[in-house]
Amino acid sequence: MTIHHHPPEELLVAFAAGLLDLGQHVAIATHLVGCPHCRDTVRTLEHVGGALLTGLPPTVMSAGALATVEARLDGLVASTALRPRPAAEQITDIPGLPHFVREYPAGPWRWIAPKVHLRPIQLPVASLTRVFLLKSRPGTKMIEHTHTGFEMSCVLSGSFVHAGGHFGPGDFDFGDGTDDHEIMIDSVDDCICLVAMQGDLKLNGMIGRLLQPLIRM
Amino acid sequence: MVDETPNGATSDAARWAALIEAVATRGDREAFAKLFEHFAPRIKTFMRRSGASEQSADEFAQEALLAVWSKAGLFDPGSVGATAWIFTIARNLRIDVLRREKRAGRDYAVEIDPEFHVDDGPQPDAYLAASQTESRVRHAMALLSEEQLRVIELSFFDEKAHAEIAQTLQIPLGTVKSRLRLAMNRLRGLLGDLS
Repeated sequence: MTIHHHPPEELLVAFAAGLLDLGQHVAIATHLVGCPHCRDTVRTLEHVGGALLTGLPPTVMSAGALATVEARLDGLVASTALRPRPAAEQITDIPGLPHFVREYPAGPWRWIAPKVHLRPIQLPVASLTRVFLLKSRPGTKMIEHTHTGFEMSCVLSGSFVHAGGHFGPGDFDFGDGTDDHEIMIDSVDDCICLVAMQGDLKLNGMIGRLLQPLIRM
Repeated sequence: MVDETPNGATSDAARWAALIEAVATRGDREAFAKLFEHFAPRIKTFMRRSGASEQSADEFAQEALLAVWSKAGLFDPGSVGATAWIFTIARNLRIDVLRREKRAGRDYAVEIDPEFHVDDGPQPDAYLAASQTESRVRHAMALLSEEQLRVIELSFFDEKAHAEIAQTLQIPLGTVKSRLRLAMNRLRGLLGDLS
């Protein structure tokens, strides 16, 4: 897998700093699983974070803070062992989907437009960014659209092409709401992407109008 | 703010690593207290600079150190530096806190490791002494320009990210982005691949 398209630097910094919301975090992490280059950048940034942290001037802790924490240490093991998870269908049939995403419950595939299906991934908490899988048949020409927010797509299988280049497995496509693009699925097999999307789509064309009410999930 | 004494930095990192291991293997409370005394007040500063109130920054720092205690067994001194590890603990907690705040009304709790098992399998740098990595990072940071370092710092602290950084520094947004990019390239060049 050769990766040609990576998340912009500022997103990797925000990821490393823990500033992304969960949906965005999931999209970046999906890319990282397949991309040693960006993983390395994030790792470097985590070291930078460590150096920044330890170099900061201290702020005096409240009186008795250490004692309070020490009093809580004993009860700690029991509480962290609990990891209840809501029962729902888990995704097992998508090659290339990282393991951590499989742990989230997913909704069913549903038709949203000719040759295009969408499967929502249910994040454990409300996130401003929605995450879903988008499966498109070969030859599909997707809507031209603009976003009111931004969109991240990680290609899991298949490929597509738009004005910004050709995107295959592992590639990361970032739309920051400023570009219009027409997407063409150019792989022999289905193209499946993990998409994290913030804001609403403003869609042009007929499929767009069909898609718009549905994509709000 | 960056420690420029390489030996000091290295031995510090090794010392933190030893303390974390003492917590992991023996539940050593004295070691924990030392970690607390160094890191809790700095995590508090970190959160204060990120906009948290005095009280919530204090509570956050306490929670972070509790997490250090309970996760100490997961610390792998061969693959990550001690300060970077503690940073990621605080970082992950920060994501959790942001989530919890947004979860009002939801009645189930799901704890999912926000690192998402990105560290899948042994990394090539596992063989490098992590303390060496830490001092390399500090050195590299010391070589950044003041401006570049400032943009990196603010990128870590500020949730409102680049637009606000631009405002704070009174420079255009594009300049923030290009400085960050330059700083990252510089760091990468200075560090080589950490692997």
